[in-house]
Amino acid sequence: MKKRFLAVALACTMMAATMTGCGSKADSTGSSTEGNTASESEASGDAIRIVNGKIEIDKQLKAFAESYEEKTGQEVVIESLGGGVDINGTLKGYLAADNMPDMFVFGGAGDYKTWADYMTDLSEEEWASQTEFAFKAEDGKTVGFPYAVEGYGITYNAAILEQAGIDPAGLTNYDAYKAAFEKIDGMKEELGIDAVCSVAAESGQMYWSTANHIFGYYLSAGLERDDTTYIDMLKEGKVDEKRLGEFADFTKLLFDYADPTVLISGTYDDQLALWAQGKTAFVTQGNWIDPSLPTYNVEFACGIAPLAFLQEDTAGVLADCPSWWAVYNEGKNIDACKAFLNDLATSEEGQNCLVKECGMISPYTTCTVEPETPLAVALKSYVDAGNTYAWQWTKMPEGIAQNATGSVFELYARGELDRDEFVAMLSAAIADYTAQ
Amino acid sequence: MKGVKKLNINVKRTLSILEITVGFILICFALYLDVSGSEHSMRGTILTAGALLVILGVYCIPTRKHRAIVNVLFLFPLVFAFAVTVLVPFALGIFYSFTNWTGIRFTEFVGLDNYIRMFRSRDYVYSFVITFIFTVFNMFLVNLAAFSLALLCTSNVRGKNFYRAAFFLPNLIGGIVLGYVWQFIFNKVFTSIFAGSASMLTDPNLALLAILMVSTWQYAGYIMMIYVTGLQSVPKDILEASGVDGANRWITLFKIKMPMMANTFTVCIFLTLVNSFKQFDLNLAITNGAPSRILGLKPVSSTEFMALNIYKTAIAKNEYALGQTKAVVFFVILAIVSLTQVYISKKKEVEM
Repeated sequence: MKKRFLAVALACTMMAATMTGCGSKADSTGSSTEGNTASESEASGDAIRIVNGKIEIDKQLKAFAESYEEKTGQEVVIESLGGGVDINGTLKGYLAADNMPDMFVFGGAGDYKTWADYMTDLSEEEWASQTEFAFKAEDGKTVGFPYAVEGYGITYNAAILEQAGIDPAGLTNYDAYKAAFEKIDGMKEELGIDAVCSVAAESGQMYWSTANHIFGYYLSAGLERDDTTYIDMLKEGKVDEKRLGEFADFTKLLFDYADPTVLISGTYDDQLALWAQGKTAFVTQGNWIDPSLPTYNVEFACGIAPLAFLQEDTAGVLADCPSWWAVYNEGKNIDACKAFLNDLATSEEGQNCLVKECGMISPYTTCTVEPETPLAVALKSYVDAGNTYAWQWTKMPEGIAQNATGSVFELYARGELDRDEFVAMLSAAIADYTAQ
Repeated sequence: MKGVKKLNINVKRTLSILEITVGFILICFALYLDVSGSEHSMRGTILTAGALLVILGVYCIPTRKHRAIVNVLFLFPLVFAFAVTVLVPFALGIFYSFTNWTGIRFTEFVGLDNYIRMFRSRDYVYSFVITFIFTVFNMFLVNLAAFSLALLCTSNVRGKNFYRAAFFLPNLIGGIVLGYVWQFIFNKVFTSIFAGSASMLTDPNLALLAILMVSTWQYAGYIMMIYVTGLQSVPKDILEASGVDGANRWITLFKIKMPMMANTFTVCIFLTLVNSFKQFDLNLAITNGAPSRILGLKPVSSTEFMALNIYKTAIAKNEYALGQTKAVVFFVILAIVSLTQVYISKKKEVEM
C-alpha cells in the first residue's frame, strides 16, 4: 500500500511539473530574454518595455530611461536585440507567447507589412510635425517614430584628397570621379596608399553594401524625397536601362580602383580597416562607422561625398531613418509610451541622449544639439541644406539583395561580367525575383 | 463481508468518476479563461489542479487494467514533453505549408501552391543538387578519414590516447565559431602562404571543397570514436584464429574486422549522411551561400545548401509558409534517403 502511495505521489509530481510550465505565463512577463539580448527585462505591470534594434545605443538609452524615471516616475525597460539576432523572428515569438513589448523596432516597408495590424497611429504627437523622417503608412498616418538619421555615400580621407589636390566638393558626377580616381591611382606611392577605394562585394556577407546601399543610389539619386519613380518600376520588375547603364559604368569604376582582395573576399571589418588605416582614400560606407573610428586611432579628417554616378551633377547623399519604433496597439501603456517618445524627441535631455551620447543625427528640426563626431557633422550639413535623397531601397522586395542581386554584384566585381552583361543580368534578376 | 466490499468498490468507483469529471471541468474552465484572454493569475493553478484530479481519478478507478493505467501514467510526462516539443510543431508545420502563413498569422489556404512554387524556383532545385553532391563527398571523406584514424588509434602506435583526444577535439568547438575561424584561415592565412593566390572562397568549386575540408576535419574525430569502439568489439578469439591460419594484416582487416563491425558502419554512415544533409552552421559561417556562379545566364549562390536555403527563404525573404514547405519536403527526402541507407546496410550485417 505504501509503495502504491509513493507511485501515485511520484506520478502526480511529474504531472504537476509538466503542467506548471504552461500555467505560469502571467507571472513572468518580459523575463524571456534570449542569450544574446543585452538587457534584463524584469518589468512590473506599469513599466513600458521597448525592444530596441540598435545594440550600440543600449547603454545610452538605459541611462536616459533611468533619468526619465527619476523625472516622471514612469519606469522604462530597454531590451536591446542585435549582433545578428533575427529581430523579426524574436518579435514573432514574443507575439505568439503573448509577451509583446509596448514599443518595438521595425525596419521599413517590408516589416511594416508584417506588423501593420499592431501599430498605433502617432500622427497627433507633437514630434510628428517636427520631422520629415517619420514612417508614414499608405494612408498618410504616422506610425513609426524616427530616432536617428543615417546617411552614406563614399566616405573620404580628407588628408589624402588634399595631398592629391582634389576638392571633394567637386565630386558630383561621373567624370569628376573618373578624373579623381585616375589622379590618385597615379600618385599611389606618393600618397602611401594601396588602392584608391575600399569596396567589398562578396555576396555572402557584403550583399547589403553593394546590392542595397550602392544600388540605392540608382533608385534615389537626383530625385525628390517623395519621388518613387525607379522604386515603383523595380517593384514591377522593370529597370531604366539608360540609368542602370550609367550606374554600371560607375560601379565598374569603383570596382576597378578598389583593393582586389578586399573587393572579392573581404568582410566589413576588412573593408573598414583598410580605409581607417589610411591605405585607401575612399570607403563605401556611411556615418555609422563613426563609433569604430577611435578603435583604429583615426586622426585624419574625413567627410562624405555622394556616389554621384550620373553624367549630370547630383550633389546630395542618401540619408534616412534606418529603422523606426512603433507603439504596440494592444499594449496597456499606450499613453505612457507616447509621453516617453515626446520626451525623447523634444526635451533637451532626450536630444542630448540621441545626438551626444549615441553619436547620431537627430531627425527633428527642433533639435538644437549639434553632433560632434566627424561623419555625423559631415552628414548634418547635407541634412541641414536639404541636400538628401530618400532610402528608396528599403522598399525593395524583401530579401532581394541577399537572394538575387547581391550575386550579380559579386560576379561583376570578380570580372566575370562586362558592363552590358551586368545590366542584363541585374535586370533579369530583378524581373525574376519580383515575378516570384 | 462480501456486500461491504462490493459497496466499497461502488463508492470508490463513484468517487473516482466524480474526481475525473470535476478535474475535466476544471481543465476546461482554465483553458476557457486562457483562450478568452483573461489575465486571472489562478488559471495555471486551476489547470494543474484539474489535471491532478483527473490523474487521481484514473488511478483510483477499480478495474482489472490497473497495471496498464499505471504504465501509461508513468509514460505520460515523457510523451507529453515529446508531443509539445516535437509532434505538435511538426503537425503545425505541415499544416502551415498549405497556408500563406507569415510567422504571425495566415489568412487563407493556398493548397499545393507553395509546393508548386518551391519546385519551380531555381535556387531550391540548385541547392538540392549541390546538397546532394556535398553529402556524397562528405560521407565518403568523413568515413574514410575517421576509419583511418580509428585504425591508427587502435594500433600499437605510441601516445594513441593523445591522438584520440586530439582528433576528437574539433568536434567540441561550435560550428559557427569554427566556421568564422576557418573563413579567416581561407581568406587570410592561405592567401599569404600561397602569396598572390585568391581566396578559395571566391571560386564556386573551391569554396565547396573548403566546406568539405572543414566539415571532414570537424566531424571525422567524432565518427572515429565510434569506429574505435567497433574495432575493439571484434572478438579476440576470431582474430587469433585467423592469425593461426596465416591471414596477414590486410586480410584480417578486410575479411574479418570489417564484416564483423558492419553494424558500426551502418551507424556511422547513417550519422554522416544525415549530418551532411542537414549541414547548416558551417555553411552559414564560412560562405553564407557565396560565391555566385553563372548558370544559364543567371546567378545562383553556389554553396547554398538546403538548410541554408530554407533559412533564407523564411528569414531573409520573410516567406515563412514557403520556408516551412521546403522544410517539410526536406524532412521527407531525408527520411527516405536515410531509411533506404539503413535498410541496405542492415542487410549486410553479420549476426553474431
